[in-house]
Amino acid sequence: MPIDVALKIFPLFLTFGGWIFAPKIQRLKELVLAILGILFVFMTWLFFQSPEQTVGSYSLISFSFNRPTLFVGAIFAGALFMGLLPVRKDLTITRNFLLLLGSGIGIILADNLPTFFFFFFLQRGVPAWNFFKNFRQGSSQSGGTYIIQHLLGLIAAIILMTRSYQAGILLNPLVEYPADFFTMDVLLLSFILVYEAHGIFPFHSWVHDIVDQLRWFEIACIFLPRAGVLLFVQLMLPNYNTEPDLFKIVLLSLSIFSSIYWSFRGILEQNVQKEVSYFYISQASLILTGLQATNVALRGSYLHMMVISFSGIALWSILSYIQGHVSLKKSQVFYGLAQDFPKLATLFCLFGFCLIGVPLLASFVAEDLVISGLLEQQPYLGLFHIFATSLNGILFFMLFSKLFLGSNPSQTKIINRDMSLTEMFPYLITLIIMFLIGVFPFLFLERIAW
Amino acid sequence: MIQSLFLASLFAPFSLMVLLGLSFLMRIPMYERWLSFTVKYFSLAMAGMGFTLWGLVWFHSPSEVLLHYGSWIKVGEYSFDLPFIVDLLGATYSLLTSCLIGIIFRFSRNYLHREEGYFRFTFLLTVLWFGLNIVSFARSLDLLFVGWELVGTTSVLLISYFYTQVQPVRHALKAIVSYRLCDMGILAAAAWSHHYLHSTDFVALPKLLHHDHGGSALIFIGIFVIFASLAKAGQLPMSSWLPTAMEGPTPSSAIFYGALSVHLGPFLLIRFHDYIDNFPSLLIAIGVIGGTSAIWATLVGRTRSDAKTMLGFATITQVGIMWIEIALGYTNFAMFHMVAHASLRTWQFLRSMSLIHDFFENPTVKQDVSIRRDLSFLKLLPEGARKKIYVHALHSFHLDFFTSRVIRGVSFPMKVIFAVEKKMMVWDNKVLARLLRKN
Repeated sequence: MPIDVALKIFPLFLTFGGWIFAPKIQRLKELVLAILGILFVFMTWLFFQSPEQTVGSYSLISFSFNRPTLFVGAIFAGALFMGLLPVRKDLTITRNFLLLLGSGIGIILADNLPTFFFFFFLQRGVPAWNFFKNFRQGSSQSGGTYIIQHLLGLIAAIILMTRSYQAGILLNPLVEYPADFFTMDVLLLSFILVYEAHGIFPFHSWVHDIVDQLRWFEIACIFLPRAGVLLFVQLMLPNYNTEPDLFKIVLLSLSIFSSIYWSFRGILEQNVQKEVSYFYISQASLILTGLQATNVALRGSYLHMMVISFSGIALWSILSYIQGHVSLKKSQVFYGLAQDFPKLATLFCLFGFCLIGVPLLASFVAEDLVISGLLEQQPYLGLFHIFATSLNGILFFMLFSKLFLGSNPSQTKIINRDMSLTEMFPYLITLIIMFLIGVFPFLFLERIAW
Repeated sequence: MIQSLFLASLFAPFSLMVLLGLSFLMRIPMYERWLSFTVKYFSLAMAGMGFTLWGLVWFHSPSEVLLHYGSWIKVGEYSFDLPFIVDLLGATYSLLTSCLIGIIFRFSRNYLHREEGYFRFTFLLTVLWFGLNIVSFARSLDLLFVGWELVGTTSVLLISYFYTQVQPVRHALKAIVSYRLCDMGILAAAAWSHHYLHSTDFVALPKLLHHDHGGSALIFIGIFVIFASLAKAGQLPMSSWLPTAMEGPTPSSAIFYGALSVHLGPFLLIRFHDYIDNFPSLLIAIGVIGGTSAIWATLVGRTRSDAKTMLGFATITQVGIMWIEIALGYTNFAMFHMVAHASLRTWQFLRSMSLIHDFFENPTVKQDVSIRRDLSFLKLLPEGARKKIYVHALHSFHLDFFTSRVIRGVSFPMKVIFAVEKKMMVWDNKVLARLLRKN
């Protein structure tokens, strides 16, 4: 089938084609946005067609279009499209970005372990290569942790693939791994990879390096494919018994602690860009908590994933637009930017509310489900989860106040530098969807089941 | 009839909130005149509805009307139900809300005339209205949390109403930290009762308690509820944010910290009283917290010099006394106290800006309105002790110092982790640099 072949080579083409042809394309920005838009529509449409498996074979490089991959893929493309569209004027597309984008799609659609790890380490290799170059040139002395942690991750991945090769299931689709494969050591290795990919404590320090060095949409390309989530949901969840034992309690505790850790980190941070990143990662840590608990929490996690992807990217995008007009490098207690950007300040506030569980907005529903599910299984851990969400809320209010409230002493004249309504349109659509999810959750919850 | 009125009083503020929100998003100009005209008649209609509902419930009392509107969220066996209770407590609070918000709307027509943020103020008050009506009639902890959060969020946004000034923003942050920490209490109570009693229904919980499913763990539901009430009611140790929250416009201070938001603490305790009543230790705790807060606020309030801050401390004192009443089981009296106090305090807050005028020039004020600062019971103490108490009261009995120590203590392990991590990252970079140099 030609369409099968086309779909099969699509992630490879996007990854390497982008790298090769990017400098020759005149309107690269528009092309990338168009691809993201088409991907979003296509994957959303396909998701609602409920495909079992459109493409898939037992070969070395193999992709599949099943419900989890389509769900994450649609979110990946949609969130990036929505976030990049309003700021396209200031956008510069580099070959590195295309590599991150293409390999991100490769991670999402990967059907077996070799494909998954190929794209995963290809993507993680892009910043590593930059760090490496900087080290050699002596222009920067950071990135060591990123490289070392990913080298250890690579070793873990090779061991995992060797084990599956010995078991004769290396090329099996991720969802078809037998339960007896998951002995304690394999389970431990898999969890190290899942947690490392997701930036969960104690495999999280690499995040500091990329937050320092990469632009927001490049960081988004690393986080939005949800490599850790997909690995967990496809590889482990079919055989994962959610009955609590010590190992699972430790894992759950780590992901909750991770959220608390990132929130604290954000609260103590001075740089606003880093604060937004930490806030986003702190929210993302909570996804894994829900996935490991009950079915109710699992559904909440899917919704949460969608909400934080769209709202988090919107926050980043708004911040980048503002940074295009105002320098935020100088560390100030309050920047007072609401005077210059009143509409964007309102949107930033509302997107933040979408993330911290304010009622009538989407994440309230998601957090309610996650907390209920978690408490059903682990009441005491559930209390820590509640603490984590509270800290998230505090972090957001601090971030919002710092950016938009207070007075800016250097300012003499207030100028309205807001976006036009047309430019804000993607944000408004997203916001309306978040509100609709918050008020009529039943319309969405049934449809996003995997 | 009761059901229709209840639905109308619940959804009318929601509809107004959505309309105002949409008009903002669509950039439809909302002139001040139109807006004040709309909210004026809207408030009158709401107050009329509130009175009728209250009258019907009064005739219907002591029995209450229990309503159930299915599930809002349903996944597998879990469902977030929409149960409501229309009883005298809820109807009274809803009526109080409608009347006081109507007064505030009328007052702010002049007070915020030509203010840039008039629309924002009106919008936030409609959100508050909706939130308070949910809290008034909610029959489960889950549902109550929805309204509770809306009230907290609007409160913080109104404290930082004058957002170009730094001080209000700082105080709003202080308020949000207290709110978010204590809101954990409601979530925890809801989750705990889901887990042990499989229900969060206020009516069902006391009955389920007698079956004793969870043993001693059930007392935690009560503890969480009391913890949740602390911040909104400004009771110790969550008191320090309330007097500093007066940075918003006076009408919002009146409605939040004199009248409605601050009484949500006692309201929740009254709602939950049938459950808490089964645990004498919890009743003692409520009484002790209330009593301590009342004494603390009385002593500290008398050292302050501005009217709104003094009123803030006086509010903490009165709410503390309400807690004592609840602890003693006088819930009806506490409800009466709540209504009377909210009405009086609203008036005082709204008049606070004209205090100087009232002191010296207002011919309608016949009697002496000067404030008596000396407390007769303190005169029993020797002068040295009185002076020491005054000095400590001036520093709010070092509440902020103790709070910062607790925060520092809690965040200490995190700081240790950060320090270790920083060292390790430096070490990683050194290792890599050394490896590259070798090659």
